[in-house]
Amino acid sequence: MTGQTDQQRGYRAVSYKEHSDKDLVRLCLKSDERAARELVERFERPVFSLVYRMVRDRELAEDLTQEVFVRTFNNLQRYDRSYKFSSWLFKIAYNLTVDYLRKKQVKTISMHGSPDAVTPERQEATSLSLESDEESPDAMVEARELAGYLEDAIAQLRPEYRTAILLRHVEGRPYEEISDIMGVPLGTVKTYIFRARRELRDLLEDRWDEGDEE
Amino acid sequence: MNTNHQARTRHLQAEELETLAIPGDHRLPARSSAHVADCERCRRDVEELQTLHALLQALAPLQPVVGFSDRVMQHVRLPLPWRVRVLQAVRKHQLATAAAFAGAAAAVGVGLTWIARYPELTPMTIAAFLVQRFTAFVWSGVMEVGRFVYGSGVLETAQGIAGQVTPVSAFVAVATVTLIGLASFRILLSLMEIDPALVTSHLRLRRRVRG
Ligand SMILES: [Zn+2]
Repeated sequence: MTGQTDQQRGYRAVSYKEHSDKDLVRLCLKSDERAARELVERFERPVFSLVYRMVRDRELAEDLTQEVFVRTFNNLQRYDRSYKFSSWLFKIAYNLTVDYLRKKQVKTISMHGSPDAVTPERQEATSLSLESDEESPDAMVEARELAGYLEDAIAQLRPEYRTAILLRHVEGRPYEEISDIMGVPLGTVKTYIFRARRELRDLLEDRWDEGDEE
Repeated sequence: MNTNHQARTRHLQAEELETLAIPGDHRLPARSSAHVADCERCRRDVEELQTLHALLQALAPLQPVVGFSDRVMQHVRLPLPWRVRVLQAVRKHQLATAAAFAGAAAAVGVGLTWIARYPELTPMTIAAFLVQRFTAFVWSGVMEVGRFVYGSGVLETAQGIAGQVTPVSAFVAVATVTLIGLASFRILLSLMEIDPALVTSHLRLRRRVRG
């Protein structure tokens, strides 16, 4: 009897983690809250990362990410299952964030925090945390510095370039999926990524050359 | 010789550079790899892309605040099954529901009053009448089918077919019956609002956990 119960418990414990995204969506359509929570936990990090690197304000990024999930679940009946769920989620995140940026017309953003941050505490709260594990203090400082330059350079790209390069190199999404997410042809995605790389290369030129000389 | 020459002259396209710089499922033709070994410019392009990719990959992982999923779940409203929607509608439109019930009750009351006017209509006579009509209906249906089968020569045809059953025809028959069975199962699942894909997924998971 005990064995049976343990087995059942094991089954329940693995079932949500082991389900595919599309199975979880099906369960959500049957009002299964645990399935919805699993989807949120599965995708909160990548969605938040993308949104944060677009708006550079932690609080705002959390609000937008929350809105992304709320909209996703509200429109779940309209989700076309021939697409990957993550593509659809990223598409909603991209549209929402770009809409926000367009409305706010946020153009240049510093790595030292959001332009919306008015007090030093708020700036501190919104600035990036550049963590690096198990490195010597010197290497850590250098890595932090370089990451800071890179984050700053990314922030200077046009939102379209920024999204495309983040999806490609940080999230590792293939070109076709990025094209679905951004709602632009494949050729345009290639152009975005090519130009984004070139701009990053130009923006990081000094650091890059220093690195080459070493 | 010619291929070797081409390999030496054609620089790599953007996609080829990416295939070399970013580890993935794709593999580059030996010709292109050979070109990189010889070409300073392409080698530098690959290295540059590798560096950029590594830098971007190494960016600090970003996490929302602890308990973020709880916060999100407080705002999420999932689509509801129809039974729950009906119950909610009833709760929301209590007056309309009460009116509908009152209407239905009134209709039943009128019907009962009408029956009461005829003393010979007792519950027993009504039930007997319904049973009799129902039996007659079913029986007439059976008779109709029998008459049709007999008249159409289906019986003779069936005898003829039985005389020449081959493995192929037997297979076709079994396959047809199986397909009809599966289709009925699917219809049953959809009537019970169960997604067939979920059934297979659950079975797969259960097998994995038990095995
Ligand atoms: Zn070359």
